[in-house]
Amino acid sequence: MEFELGAIIVIVLIILALALSFSIGANDETPAPLAAAGTIKFKAVLILGGAGLAIGTIFLSQGVASLVGEGILGPGIKYSVFMLLAVLISSILWLIIGSLAGIPLSSTHALIGSIVGVVIVYALFSGGIDVITALNWEKVFLVIISWVITPLAGFLITYILYKIIAKFFISKSKGITDIENSERKFAWMLLIAVFAASVWTGANSAEALGILYGLYSNDSLTIEMYYLFVVICGIFAFLGIYFAGRFVIKNLASQMTDARPSDGFILQISASIILAIATIFSVPISHSHVIVFSIIGLNVAQKKDIDYKGIGKMSLFWILTFPIAAIVAGLLYFGFISFGMV
Amino acid sequence: MQLNDLNEKEIKKLKIDDLTHMFMDSINEQNLKLIAGIEYLIKEDFENFTLNLNYVIQTKAEIQIKEAFEAKIFKAKLMFSKADRLKVFSKINDIKDIGEFLAHKMLLYRVVFPDSEFKRRIELILKYLREISKNLSAAVKLIGTDLESAHDICELIKEERRKMRLEEWNLLNRLWNYDMDYLSRTFLYLKEFVEGFMMLGDHIKKFAEYIQFLATKYFYFK
Repeated sequence: MEFELGAIIVIVLIILALALSFSIGANDETPAPLAAAGTIKFKAVLILGGAGLAIGTIFLSQGVASLVGEGILGPGIKYSVFMLLAVLISSILWLIIGSLAGIPLSSTHALIGSIVGVVIVYALFSGGIDVITALNWEKVFLVIISWVITPLAGFLITYILYKIIAKFFISKSKGITDIENSERKFAWMLLIAVFAASVWTGANSAEALGILYGLYSNDSLTIEMYYLFVVICGIFAFLGIYFAGRFVIKNLASQMTDARPSDGFILQISASIILAIATIFSVPISHSHVIVFSIIGLNVAQKKDIDYKGIGKMSLFWILTFPIAAIVAGLLYFGFISFGMV
Repeated sequence: MQLNDLNEKEIKKLKIDDLTHMFMDSINEQNLKLIAGIEYLIKEDFENFTLNLNYVIQTKAEIQIKEAFEAKIFKAKLMFSKADRLKVFSKINDIKDIGEFLAHKMLLYRVVFPDSEFKRRIELILKYLREISKNLSAAVKLIGTDLESAHDICELIKEERRKMRLEEWNLLNRLWNYDMDYLSRTFLYLKEFVEGFMMLGDHIKKFAEYIQFLATKYFYFK
C-alpha cells in the first residue's frame, strides 16, 4: 500500500512537472515585442519562442535543475516524494495568490522558498538531522543574493545599453522615416534577441526540471527516464507557447503597437545576458523580476515617469514570496507527517 | 518633383513620403493662389481675382495623389508611424477643404474695400498667411527626416499666427467702427472674409502644434 501511494505520487509529480512546463510556455511573454514589431508572421513568432524555450529546457537546463533537485540540499539529504509534493503545492498556491493580486510573482522564488521550508520541517521532525546541515546554506545564500543582484543588473545593463544605442544609433535618426528605417533593422535584431532570451529562459526555468531531478536523485526515476522527461518538458513548453501562450503574447503585442523594436531589443538582450550568466553559474533566478527592473532602467534612461508606489507594492510581494512559500510548504509537509503519510 | 510632370503610373510608384510632400506642395500652391486672388481683389482686379479663386475650387490634381497615398498607406509595412502619417495627410487635406470653402464664399459678392488703411491691414495679414503656409509646407517635408527643424519652423508659424491674430482685432475694430451708413452686405462680407482667412491661419497653427507633438513623441531621447 505504501509503495503504491509513493508510485502514485511520483506519477502525480511527473504530471505536475509536465503541466508546469506547459504553463511556463503558456505564460512566457518573451516573444511579445517581436509579435508587436510584425517582423515575421505571428505563427512564426510562436514557433521561434517555443523552439527557443524547448532548446533551452532540453540542452541547457542541467545545471539549474541539479541545483534545485539536489545541490541545494545538505550532504546525505534526498527529497522524498511527499517533500516534492509539498514544494509543488506550496509554489502553485503562492503563484495563484500572486495572480489574483495582479502581481508578477516569481515561481523560482516560490520554489526555492518552499524547498527551504520543507527541508527545515523535515530536519526538525526526522530526528538526528541538523537544520544547519540539512541545507547547503552556501548555495541557498548564493541563490538569494542572485535575486537581489540580477534585477539590479537588469536595471543597470538596460540603462547602459540604451545610452550606448541611443548615442550611436537612435540619435542619428532625426525624422519619422529615419526612425522607421532604423527601427526596421532593430526589428530583425529583435528576432535574434527574442530567440536568445527564450533559450535562456528555458534553460533557467528550474521549477519542473528541479522536481524531475529531485525524483531522479531519490531514485524514483532512472537517468534515461529523467532525460526522457526533460525532452518531454521541452516539448510541453513549446506546446504551452504555441497553444496557450499565443493569447498572452497577442494581448501584450496589441498593447505594444507604439513600442519601438529597439526598446524590445535592449530589454531582451539584457535579460538574455543575465539569464545566461545565472544559468552558467547554475543559479535559478526570476525572469520576471529581471524584466521588470530592465523596464524601469529603460524608463529612467528615457526620462519617463516611473510608478514608484506600484514598484513598492511589487517589491513587498517579492520579498514576502520566499518566507511565505517556506512557511506554507513547511506546514503542508508537517501536515503529511502528522497524518502519518511520511 | 512636380505633380504636372507625372502620370498616374508614376504617381503610384512614389513612396509615402514623396506622396505626402507632393500633396503638401499642391495644397500650398493653391493656398498661394488663394492669397494672390485676394490681393487682386484688393487691387479691384476682379477678373484675376475670379480666375485665381476658380483655380482653387476647380483644381482636382491632388485627388490622384490622395488615392495613391490611401492605396499605399494601408498596405505599408510601417511599424508605428502609420496612424500619424494618416493624420498628417488628412490635416493637409483639411487645408484644401477650408481654402475651397473660402473661395466659394468670396465669389458670392463683389466687394469694394472701404479705405486704403483697411486694404493695407488686409495685405499685412495676407503676408503673414503666405508666410505660414510656406513654412508649414517646409515643416511637413521635414517630418520624415528632421523633426527638430520641423519643430523650430512650427514655432515660427505659431509666432506669425499670433501677429496675424493681433492684426485681425485691429481690422475688426476698424470694421465695426466705420462712421458711415455702411452697406450691411459689405459689412457681413468683410467680417466673414477676415474670419475666413483667420480660420485658415488657425488650422495651420493647430497643424504646426501637431507636428510639434510628433517631434516630442518620436524624439524623446534628447
